[in-house]
Amino acid sequence: MIQLRIMLPEGEEEFRKYIHALRQNSRAPYPNLNAEPYSKECSFHVEVGETEVFRLKEDLAKYLDDTFKKYSVTREDVISAGKGLWTWLAYIWVDQLTNNKQNILKRDEHYICTDPSNYRRYYIHLVAPPYIIYSRYKECQQPIWKLFLYNPPWEINDFTERVAANQFLISHPNVIEAIYHLYFDENSNRPKTNATSRNVRGNVRRFIKVFQHLELTYDMYSLESQQIIDLLPDEFNAWK
Amino acid sequence: MKRTFNYTGRQKIKREKISINLIRQNDKVVSFVVNKLDIDDLSLPDDAKVYVEAYYRTELKRFDFWTVNNRSVPMSCDLTDLAYPDNLKFRVVVVNPSDSKILAHADKITPEVPTDRKPILPVEFRDMGNEIWRVEYEGNEDAPILCINNRIPNIQNIAKQDPQFLIYVYPVVIREILTRMVFVDGVDSLTGPSIEWHGDWLRFIIKLGVEFPETLNKNDEYFDKEEALEWINRVVEAFCNTHRNKFYEYVKKLEEVP
Repeated sequence: MIQLRIMLPEGEEEFRKYIHALRQNSRAPYPNLNAEPYSKECSFHVEVGETEVFRLKEDLAKYLDDTFKKYSVTREDVISAGKGLWTWLAYIWVDQLTNNKQNILKRDEHYICTDPSNYRRYYIHLVAPPYIIYSRYKECQQPIWKLFLYNPPWEINDFTERVAANQFLISHPNVIEAIYHLYFDENSNRPKTNATSRNVRGNVRRFIKVFQHLELTYDMYSLESQQIIDLLPDEFNAWK
Repeated sequence: MKRTFNYTGRQKIKREKISINLIRQNDKVVSFVVNKLDIDDLSLPDDAKVYVEAYYRTELKRFDFWTVNNRSVPMSCDLTDLAYPDNLKFRVVVVNPSDSKILAHADKITPEVPTDRKPILPVEFRDMGNEIWRVEYEGNEDAPILCINNRIPNIQNIAKQDPQFLIYVYPVVIREILTRMVFVDGVDSLTGPSIEWHGDWLRFIIKLGVEFPETLNKNDEYFDKEEALEWINRVVEAFCNTHRNKFYEYVKKLEEVP
């Protein structure tokens, strides 16, 4: 177990170099960034396991949520700790997030967290969004977080990049529930086939476009998920 | 000039009809109050629901202010369960309860600051990668915000006090903002523009003593592009002249270097 730390700019730079080196050579030496000036101890006392194994993003999210709860750290305090927290967690779990260095994603932002003000890039990080989404929606009647957390921690997720990166959509649980009902297959615990395909009528990209028209007219916040679904045009019938 | 299509008759609540203040305890935002919410001039049914939403990025919380003819403040306007409370914006929505259609709305409302401290160009410090600064149009009615990279050591003091920062950055910022005002937004009136932040900047320019061209409305038949660009140059020049001491200080330091 290790006390939670916050990655500092020098540590971020070294971690970035390590990621770049990994892309060329899976045996690149792992830098020790658990000391100043690379990182500093987090202000709240929380210990996490360095060797935790997460089969799915959902497992990673639940682990963090349970851990913070165990130490009585609120969600607001976690989010306010800033991007250095998420970058450091990506650093200690880099083997998990690269499938033991077999799947290293092209964009550094998957591992190096950007500022939340740059929300589109913030939401492609492999650690921050799973926790934020799970902690926000875990109390919902339906497990709507599964849309974003169904796959392994080292994979990108189209729903996260399309839906969660849209500030308006992700802040409305009723909308996420509508998307869940339309596009998630509870039997296979994965999105329905072709849900994100551009070429299929009523796919999730189309839902977002249609939704952006509807929200100009309707108070989407106050509608139930089924009411939102009922507003959709015929092209979405195959998904209903 | 922006064009909008309003097929549903949704009414806009004017910015000056709304006033919201944040309440702080120990310098931390804990709640908000709505000092003013004047919708009497709009055609709204008595039973339409009134909501105020506080939001920033993915954080959102809605507060029920009851109905148009029976408005009341909620039991609690608590904001302590939201992350980033200092960055919150507000949205006011009036909704038809029978079909959930939006009847009136206002968005991107920033809380009030005391008038004598209201900056025309707020500054925010953010992680911006390798970029030193840029102007983002994220304020009320897309008002400008100067974003400066917080990865630069001691940047907050540098931005406030360093003469080099002032003479290198602010003239360019002013030129960019005025170019946006005139050539992107369009300034529809020199005396009472419809966009509030345009008015703030025009008042700032009056204080600089720069005369205006006949019009800055790009849709006006008398608008002259070259004249407008020349005017922007004169404003920037006037700004630099008001800070000529900083310029002299900078040049003197360069002359002193062997």
